[in-house]
Amino acid sequence: MLRRALLLAIVFLPRLAAGAVAPDLEDQTRALAAELRCVVCQNLSVADSPSEMAQQMRAIVREQLQAGKTPEQVKDFFVSKYGEWVLLKPKTSGIGLLLWLLPYVALTLGVITALWFVRRWARRKTLTAQIPIAGGMERVRSEIAREHVEQPDSEDTSPRAELLRERERLRAELRELEFDFQSGKHSEADFMALRSEIENKFGTLIERLDRLPAESGAHAAKEKRPAHTPANKTPAKTSDGSGRRFRRWQLAAGGSFLLLFGLALGVFLTQSLRPRMSEEDTITGDFMTGTSGAATAALLQQGKQAYAKQDFAKAIEAFKLVLAQEPNQPEAHAYMGFILAQAGHGDGALMAFEKALAVAPSFPMALWGKGMVLYRDKQDYAGARPVLEKLLQLMPPGEERNEITKVLAEIPASGGPPQKASAVAPTAANSAQTISGKITVDAKLKDKIDNQATLFIIARPAGGAAGPPLAVKKIDKPSFPLSYSLGHENVMMQGTPFAGPINITVRLDKDSNAVTREAGNLLGDYKKNPVTVGSQNVDIILDQLAQ
Amino acid sequence: MPWRRLIITASIIAPLLALFAYGFMRDARYIHSPLIAKPAAPFAIELFDGTTLNLESLRGKAVFLNFWASWCPPCRAEARDLESAWRKVKDQNVVYIGVALQDTEENARAFLREFDITYPNGRDASGRISVDYGVWGIPESFFIDAQGRITYKHTGAIRAGLVETKLAEAIKGIVTAQEGKGEYQQVR
Repeated sequence: MLRRALLLAIVFLPRLAAGAVAPDLEDQTRALAAELRCVVCQNLSVADSPSEMAQQMRAIVREQLQAGKTPEQVKDFFVSKYGEWVLLKPKTSGIGLLLWLLPYVALTLGVITALWFVRRWARRKTLTAQIPIAGGMERVRSEIAREHVEQPDSEDTSPRAELLRERERLRAELRELEFDFQSGKHSEADFMALRSEIENKFGTLIERLDRLPAESGAHAAKEKRPAHTPANKTPAKTSDGSGRRFRRWQLAAGGSFLLLFGLALGVFLTQSLRPRMSEEDTITGDFMTGTSGAATAALLQQGKQAYAKQDFAKAIEAFKLVLAQEPNQPEAHAYMGFILAQAGHGDGALMAFEKALAVAPSFPMALWGKGMVLYRDKQDYAGARPVLEKLLQLMPPGEERNEITKVLAEIPASGGPPQKASAVAPTAANSAQTISGKITVDAKLKDKIDNQATLFIIARPAGGAAGPPLAVKKIDKPSFPLSYSLGHENVMMQGTPFAGPINITVRLDKDSNAVTREAGNLLGDYKKNPVTVGSQNVDIILDQLAQ
Repeated sequence: MPWRRLIITASIIAPLLALFAYGFMRDARYIHSPLIAKPAAPFAIELFDGTTLNLESLRGKAVFLNFWASWCPPCRAEARDLESAWRKVKDQNVVYIGVALQDTEENARAFLREFDITYPNGRDASGRISVDYGVWGIPESFFIDAQGRITYKHTGAIRAGLVETKLAEAIKGIVTAQEGKGEYQQVR
């Protein structure tokens, strides 16, 4: 009775506390909202969520309380709309009661099982010390060793026949135990303990057989047969009917493992659940899926910042880490697509955008990237148009939408290069469409020149620091002074006009990798940046040493 | 007895594995609606044309109720489809109602203009109607039969063909317990 009362108190106490009457409406609203799950955020209550939906739900809670509804009635209202999912604590009735009671039931069963094992071990110890029949262990052993023993009729259901069958089972069990011991399955201590348990049971059985009135000699003789023929086929069983005995250390190890597993699961599981960081995020992370929500979100942010600063090496590194943790992260795929597109890898970029779109078919960024690569890089107008049209339909009115409309208007109805591109595409010989000059190295840095280095001449739109380079020229193992010319053929994304005010910079890169930046690189920029296309004598001195 | 041990082990492990598999396979964000086959919550909404529409007054007609927002891409994706489906059935005994939620009046109106939507639309400024219908992911569509009972619910963008099929079922009072699912955006 006391136990039952305690159990009920454990179950109901938090609920009673939560249901206590709040002093005023605001407190009452808050207390009730804290019991409702925010439908947008999960793992957050309506009271804690800053979302618009939660605000509206709080207003409804307040309104209904004000109208005189009880907290239970208000909760029932939300349950009728969203189901029991909306309750942060399941109800203590129906299936909800099962959730409350199940842990206690499991705990009780665990304790009972543990006690049962302990009692069994204790009994085994005490049994070892007793031999209940006259003649003691010697008689038991001689009975066990007897070759020819009385066998009951298979249809005989008398108590004597039952005992005789049990005796045969014990003999078979003992034989199996000896075989197991000889084949090394049992330690000597275990073998001795188990054997003495069986012998004790055998002794008790002989004693009970002794107490029964003797069977007729004829009957007994009729049933006699060699013990080793059918008896050997008797299934090996313990006297209590269970299967193979477990050794104590096995049980102890199993119990400890289960305990540790339970504890670990309890700790890690709670740590692995988290509020979703984005639409595509899940509530599981860390050890459950190998992802850490906060870490992934931070990495994604890091990647985006690096991308904005055009530090593509850092951006790639960050996005790769994001994708290692969440292989389907569409934003990371889309950014990788943009980086690849800027590096001139149209096919790789398309693949990245497709990956993003496979997860989120209406992801605007990936649609834009795919459309633009198809249009500008691949000149696949028939492919680009539906992609951009889909994007146009998805975008609310605004600047971005206008941009899409503009690009769509540029795309020719069929075949041929883009109108705008063809209008500005210069011939290589047209010097009016190039920027040219000479690159030299500052006298102080001449000894810093790496003979294996690669020179990058980079043109960026002036004022567009966040954008990708407009054009890049790569020269392996340059010798200085070096004359250069930069034109439309060096533009990174085909179709982009080589025009407008442009900033020219150069970098002598030690590892020849355009996206990594290391100490020892030589840098320089045109002192009168920006320049216009057609400028000549844009001479640049490599006068800075990257640290 | 190996068989017995195997059965006992399997009977303990199998339900646990099934529980884990179920937990990992289901969409944790998805909220199953308890509203299907229940009477649709009554509401009155002020439409963008200035009139007021009362759901109760539509008894005897099949109703397609659609929750949307101008900022939600899947809502934009289905908008043209819905309008074309509406134009096919507008002279029949069915009514389409659009409810804009978590949206400004200006943006909602611009949305209706952009997609040339002609069926009745109003704005649920307080969110009361949305909560009454347990809305959590938009667009969200409800089909209501002539007796005012919800016959089908679809979360996410819906195709015109499905709207037509489910409206035909609503006219006959056929209930589909299984909810439909398309690409959706959680409300804010």
